[in-house]
Amino acid sequence: MWDEQKLKDLKDLRRDWEEKCLKPALEARPERMERFLTDIGAEIERVYTPLDLQQTNFDYRGDLGFPGQFPFTRGTTPTLYRGALWIMRAYSGFGDPQTSNERYKKLIEWGVDEIVIAVDLPTQVGYDSDHFMAKGEVGKVGVAIDTLRDMEILFEGIPLNKLKRVSMLGNSFSPIALSLFIALGERQGLKPSDFVVDLQNDILKEYVARGTYIFPIRPAVRVTTDVIGYCSKYAQHWYPSTLCANHINAAGAGSTKATAFAIANGVCYINSLLERGYQIDEIAPLFSIFSDERADFFVAICNLRATRRVWAKIMRERFKAQDPRSMALKITAYSHGGETLLEPINNIVRITLAALAYVLGGVQFLYNASHDEVLGTPTENAAKISVRTQQILAHELGITNTVDPLGGSYFIESLTTQIEKQIYEEFLKVDGMGGAIAAIEKGYYHSVITEGANRRQREFDKGERVAIGVNKYGTESGIPFGAFQIDPTIEQKQIERLNQVKKERNQRTVKETLEYVHKVAEGDGNLVPPVLEAVRAYATIGEICGVLRGVFGEYQAREYFFV
Amino acid sequence: MDGHEVGARVVAKSLADAGMEVIYTGLRQTPEMIVRTAIEEDVDVIGISILSGSHMTFFPEILRLLGKYEAEDIHFIAGGIIPAEDIPVLKQMGVKEIFPPETPTSKIVNFVKNLIE
Repeated sequence: MWDEQKLKDLKDLRRDWEEKCLKPALEARPERMERFLTDIGAEIERVYTPLDLQQTNFDYRGDLGFPGQFPFTRGTTPTLYRGALWIMRAYSGFGDPQTSNERYKKLIEWGVDEIVIAVDLPTQVGYDSDHFMAKGEVGKVGVAIDTLRDMEILFEGIPLNKLKRVSMLGNSFSPIALSLFIALGERQGLKPSDFVVDLQNDILKEYVARGTYIFPIRPAVRVTTDVIGYCSKYAQHWYPSTLCANHINAAGAGSTKATAFAIANGVCYINSLLERGYQIDEIAPLFSIFSDERADFFVAICNLRATRRVWAKIMRERFKAQDPRSMALKITAYSHGGETLLEPINNIVRITLAALAYVLGGVQFLYNASHDEVLGTPTENAAKISVRTQQILAHELGITNTVDPLGGSYFIESLTTQIEKQIYEEFLKVDGMGGAIAAIEKGYYHSVITEGANRRQREFDKGERVAIGVNKYGTESGIPFGAFQIDPTIEQKQIERLNQVKKERNQRTVKETLEYVHKVAEGDGNLVPPVLEAVRAYATIGEICGVLRGVFGEYQAREYFFV
Repeated sequence: MDGHEVGARVVAKSLADAGMEVIYTGLRQTPEMIVRTAIEEDVDVIGISILSGSHMTFFPEILRLLGKYEAEDIHFIAGGIIPAEDIPVLKQMGVKEIFPPETPTSKIVNFVKNLIE
C-alpha cells in the first residue's frame, strides 16, 4: 500500500512545512495549549497525514474492509442507513403504569421505533412496591412494575409488534423481565416470533457501577446466561444481552477501558454458555454493546469503529466463530454526558452533537437524553425534542446518505487504530487476571473507575474540563425551577393494585409455580421456563426474587468503609 | 437505593483528602440504618446524595430520627438531583445545605469545615 518514494517525498514536504510555515506561525502565536489531551489519555496531534497511517501499518483490507464484512470497522451491514436507519429508542417510564401508558402513546405518535421501559429502583432490585425498602422510591426514576397486570396496563392499546423493539431496563431480574414480555405477548395474541425484545441483562457491571445487583456474582452470571441461552433456542431474533460500557465509563473508567471491561464481561458470559454446551454461533449474534464516550466527539466516533473491530477479531480468532453475525457487533448508544444544570436549554446542543457522533460511528440503536433530565424525569416537551433531534439527523441533512462518511480520514483512521489497541490491551490485561469475575473480585475494575472519577473531578475543579455556562462564561447561579413532579399518591395506589392482584389470582397456581422456580434454581436447569410460569400466574417480582434470594443468597457489598 | 454513586464517592474522597475522617456507608441504606451508623460512629455530619427523587421521603425521615435519638447535634447536608422548588422546604426542615451537581468539591469541603468548627 505504501510507495517508498512517495513516503520519502511526503516526509520532505512535511519537514519543509514545519520549517517555513509552522515555525514562524508558532513563534508569532503559540498554540492555546501545550498538549491537546482526551479523556482516554490519547494525545491529539496538530495534523494527520498518510505518514501517521503508515506508522501503524494501516492496511485497507485488514483494518477496514467493506461495510458488512470483517472486521466490520465501516459498519455492520453493506448499506447501513441507506438500507435502514438506526432504531430510534425512547427510554421512558415514571409513576404508575397508566401515567406511563399515556406517555408511550405520545412517543409512538411522534415516531419512535422502540420503547425502553424505565422501571423504578424497587423493581430493578426485586422488591414489590409494598416492601419497606421501596418506601419513597415507588414510581421514581421509572414506572413501578409488580406483576404482569402492570405490564398489561402499561401496554394497553399498544400491541408489542407495533414497535420495532421493546425493552426493559433490568439486569438482576432479567428472567422476569423476559417472561413479562413473553406473557404480555400471549395476552395480546402474539408469539415471540411476532415481536422483538431487547434487554440489558449484563449483571457484571452492576457490581462495579450502577449497583442494582441482587444475588452473589456467580449465581447472578447464571441468571444472565440462562436468559441468553433461552433466547438462543426460542427467540434468536431477540437481543437478550447488551454489554454495557456506558455505566462503567460514566462511573469514571474512560471509554476505552469501559469498552474493554464490557467486552471482557461478554466473554465471561460466552465462556459460561460454551461450558454448558452452547455453540459460539448460536449465542454470539445475540449480544450487542452499549457504547459510550462523552468527552470527545472524535473519540466517540472512533470508539464505535474500534469496538466493532476488536469484537470481530475476538470472535473469529479466539472463539473460531464462522457466522458473520457473530462478528458484526451491533451498537447501542445514549446521547448524553456533558449536560449541565445551569442553562439547561444548552443541553439540546450537547445531546445533538453526541447523537451526531454516534451516527457518524455507525450506531444501530440510539436514544437521546432530554435536556431537562438533569432536573429530574423529562417533561413531555423535552422528551419530544429529543425524539425530533434524532429524526432531524436522520432525514434532513444528508448525514445518512453514505456508509461510514469519515472512513479514510487520516485522523479518524489513526485514532481508530489507537483506540482499538487501547481496548484490546486492556481486555488482555483483564484476561490475564483470570477474566472479568476475577478482575472484579480483585478490585481492579473498581480501582480504575475510582481513579478516573477523581481525575475528572480534579479537572473540572481546575477548569480544565470545561462546562460552558458553569465553569467558563458562567452568568447564572441557582438551580432552575420547573422540574417534573411525580404524583406522590402513586405509591399508595400502586400498593392497592398489588393487593388487589394478589387477592384475585389463583393462589394454588402461584404457590406451585414458585415451588417450580425454587426447584430449578436449586438444580442447574434454565430458569426462564419456571419464571415464565410464575409470571403467567401473576406471582409478583418480589415473590419470585424472594425465592431466588432464598436459594442464591444476596450479594453483600461491604457494609461501609473508611475512606 | 440509588446505584449512581460517583458523586458521593468523589465527595467522600475530597473530604478525606482535606483531613477529615469519612465513613461511606454505601448503597441500599434505610434512614434508620444511616442514623444508627452516624450515632455509633459519633460523626459530626451526615451527607446523603439522592438522584432518584425520593428525597422528600428520605430527608424528613432522617431529621425525624435524629430528633428521636436525641442526636440533633449531628448536622445533615445533602446533594444530588433536588428540584429548586424543594430546596427551601428542606432547609426549613433542618437540612443545613444542599449541593446540586456541578458544585466544586472545595465548596463542600469548606462548608463542612465551617459547620464543625
